[in-house]
Amino acid sequence: MRIAAARAGFPLAVAAVAFAFLGLFLLYPLFGVFKASFLDPTGVSFTLDNYARVLSRAFYRASLTNSLTIGLGATLATTAIGVPLAFCLARLPVPGKPVLLALAALPLVLPSFVGAYAWVLLLGRSGIVSQALRAIGIDGVSIYGKHGLILVYTLQTFPYVLLPTLAAFKAIDVSIEEAGQNLGASRWRVFWTVILPVAAPAVLSGALLVLMETLENFGVPFVLAEDMPILAVEAYKLFIGEVGGNPASAGVLGVLLVACTTVALLLQRYYLGRRRFATGARRTPPELVVGAGLRGLATAYCWGVVLLALVPFFAVVALSFMEYRGPVLHPGFSLDNFLRLLDRSQRPLMNTLVLASAAAGGAALLGVPIGYVLTRYRSRLADVLDIVAMIPFAIAGTVLGIGLVISFNSGWLILTGSPLILVLAYLVRKLPFNVRASSAILHQIDPSLEEASINLGVSPARTFLTLTVPLMMGGIIGGTILTWVTIASELSATVVLYSGPWATMTVVMFQALEGTSAGAASAAATVLIVVTVVPLILVHRLLRRHEMSLL
Amino acid sequence: MTAIRIAEVARSFGAVRAVDRVSLDINEGEFFTLLGPSGCGKTTLLRMIAGFCDLDHGAIHFGERRVDTVPPHRRNAGMVFQNYAIFPNLTVAGNVAYGLKARNVPAGEIGARVARALKLVHLDGYDERWPHQLSGGQLQRVAIARCLVIEPEVLLLDEPLSNLDAQLRVEMRREIRLLQQSLKITAIYVTHDQEEALAISDRIAVMRAGRTEQVGGPTEIYQRPATRFVAEFMGTTNLLSGIAVDGPVGGTAKVRVGGQDFALPAGTARPRDAVTFSLRPEALRLIAPGEHAPSGWHTLEARLAGVEFLGVLTRLDLQLADGAPLRAATLDLPPEAALRRERITVAYDPQRVTVLSKP
Repeated sequence: MRIAAARAGFPLAVAAVAFAFLGLFLLYPLFGVFKASFLDPTGVSFTLDNYARVLSRAFYRASLTNSLTIGLGATLATTAIGVPLAFCLARLPVPGKPVLLALAALPLVLPSFVGAYAWVLLLGRSGIVSQALRAIGIDGVSIYGKHGLILVYTLQTFPYVLLPTLAAFKAIDVSIEEAGQNLGASRWRVFWTVILPVAAPAVLSGALLVLMETLENFGVPFVLAEDMPILAVEAYKLFIGEVGGNPASAGVLGVLLVACTTVALLLQRYYLGRRRFATGARRTPPELVVGAGLRGLATAYCWGVVLLALVPFFAVVALSFMEYRGPVLHPGFSLDNFLRLLDRSQRPLMNTLVLASAAAGGAALLGVPIGYVLTRYRSRLADVLDIVAMIPFAIAGTVLGIGLVISFNSGWLILTGSPLILVLAYLVRKLPFNVRASSAILHQIDPSLEEASINLGVSPARTFLTLTVPLMMGGIIGGTILTWVTIASELSATVVLYSGPWATMTVVMFQALEGTSAGAASAAATVLIVVTVVPLILVHRLLRRHEMSLL
Repeated sequence: MTAIRIAEVARSFGAVRAVDRVSLDINEGEFFTLLGPSGCGKTTLLRMIAGFCDLDHGAIHFGERRVDTVPPHRRNAGMVFQNYAIFPNLTVAGNVAYGLKARNVPAGEIGARVARALKLVHLDGYDERWPHQLSGGQLQRVAIARCLVIEPEVLLLDEPLSNLDAQLRVEMRREIRLLQQSLKITAIYVTHDQEEALAISDRIAVMRAGRTEQVGGPTEIYQRPATRFVAEFMGTTNLLSGIAVDGPVGGTAKVRVGGQDFALPAGTARPRDAVTFSLRPEALRLIAPGEHAPSGWHTLEARLAGVEFLGVLTRLDLQLADGAPLRAATLDLPPEAALRRERITVAYDPQRVTVLSKP
């Protein structure tokens, strides 16, 4: 049920602010990217030359096919790993399930390029595992290239498939299964003919998120792709360019990237809409009784996958406390890496904390009212707002960054060079998550509470501020912390937009990757992991219901 | 005291006409009930009065004041919600004081008014309790106190008793009625429970598919339903159709149904009219062998097909000459001898028959 009152000023005011903000800092910059890709060098007439020129080069064509093959490969691999994992966690007696579930969502919020770098420390050319393998005569194990990218993506994004699938398996009422058996189907047959088809929309919706995430990821291919062209990376390189940027060509790659992610987003929304037929179990299906063998296998599998996804993060933390001489590792405990990092990176650390706080706070201030209006006041206008507010999901950080630079480096509003442009980019990128998290919280608050307040004489706007927001507070704090954490490790828009004094910790890490100092990079990586994990532990209990909103 | 005038009010959701040009005049201090099955539009109509649902057409007045254009928070129409909607983040006193604070009532006065309101619903001393410490019935009382303390012009109740168990429901409805009468406040009550509606209301509007089917006092609605729908919705009844035949006997009309003649009140049917009428099961009385029906009553012969003992009532399933069913009910258990016979005699006062004006 919704409060209906088309005349009410409050939802209109919220919608107006939201449209103004998103129009200026999302649609306008996106338009800038499109425009750049469709204009000739004089900047006046429409042309398709830019597309013809970029696509005539095998190198850029390869960037498109590479991005798509790697994305699809990772999508298939996460599904193959995530669905059995979800079934084990939903239905099999695996020891340590609560811990396992808490850890399983972690890869989604840990900085992905830090993970990629950690894999390099383990399996890169001078990685400690590859060296150990070489010492016993096994050569040719490498984390670079397509297979490495697919592996790293798979281990970092499988929770996108795991979490909704797990929820779907748990939402299938046990009577459905019993009815299948009662009609003469074996357990195995019931799984294939009923349970899996009912959970399929959830699986697909999660898998498409993996596709989007891998298509737009910048940091992981930057670390692992080496010479192989990848859309998000090449768009960045063309734009930043060592000899003056090329906005037209960068725009072409940006538009191609947006096209791919938009298709994935539209498909994902479609399947998400169909998810409802797997909800509302009155009796959650019980754990299956299985033999010790199968139980052991399931336990090994679940813990194996989750630990394998987290091991590189532990490893990079451990390695950061060791001694490096140049790229070469020496055994022995040392704080040198951190001392050196601290020496020159106090400012970036402060920048990260300040910018992330400003952007997370802003995202909450904007996202919570939007989520409220979308949930409680249904109208044509709200439907449009819903769509616009979800667009950032489909926009790679690199593309948004390019758009913001194109739009605001001259003219009536100049933002390039100021920290504000970073805050705005973060805010726009994280807004969909905030809006959806707020909606999720609101669905648990009975709208008649707000109606009662209005009925007793409090205006809708005041009711929202004095009743709804306090009732939502736990959820809002949890959601804001989660936003903060993902902003603190944001890389793809940051590398396009940062300027001199406003470099963040992710930029320091990024620069350390280009250099040779593995010690500094691993120390920066550790700092980023700590910045991510500590807030999560602090508000662990507030976060449970947000896991699903990430999707 | 405020009269409520609802004129030609309509609202559609997509192709569904939730409320279809309803007009009602509710008197000052009246306890008025909107009764109907789920989906009949009663809750939508109530929400229109409260301001939570916009009108496509029509107008609503409280006294002389037109309110359908007034935002809900300025209507001063206290509403009791089906699930009570007690703010979980406020104490009992905080809940009751909520509307007073919104009206900027001086702090000193709030305490006294809250205490008075809580006393009214027998919750004195519960001020500092939290909602989660209260039972369903107590939450209900808080909801009522919270509503009454703002001295609303009208009181709106949306199925307020449906979440309570049967015994508490009867108790609470009596209390609500007494409160309403002592405060002389105009109340609109929504329910799907016909017994509740009969027990509590001054007048009832029976609704169906967005329209009012019949408006009237409880006895009128029950004993003289205007339509087949109202007759059936207000409890078990025999709905019989037939053709009126010649020959008024003692001032009554006669209709032939199921191979037997039924007597109707005088002047309700002309010969050869097609007539549908309602005859409540409890209007039929079992006539023991040798006993005589009261004078003026009409007697029928029927076959006894089944007996259902319900405690207070006993239901008898009868069959007329051509096998058509007829239901009868008696208080307590009828004499066993009467039930052992296959053919029995029943009688009724023709005045108890209602001829439906809109069959």
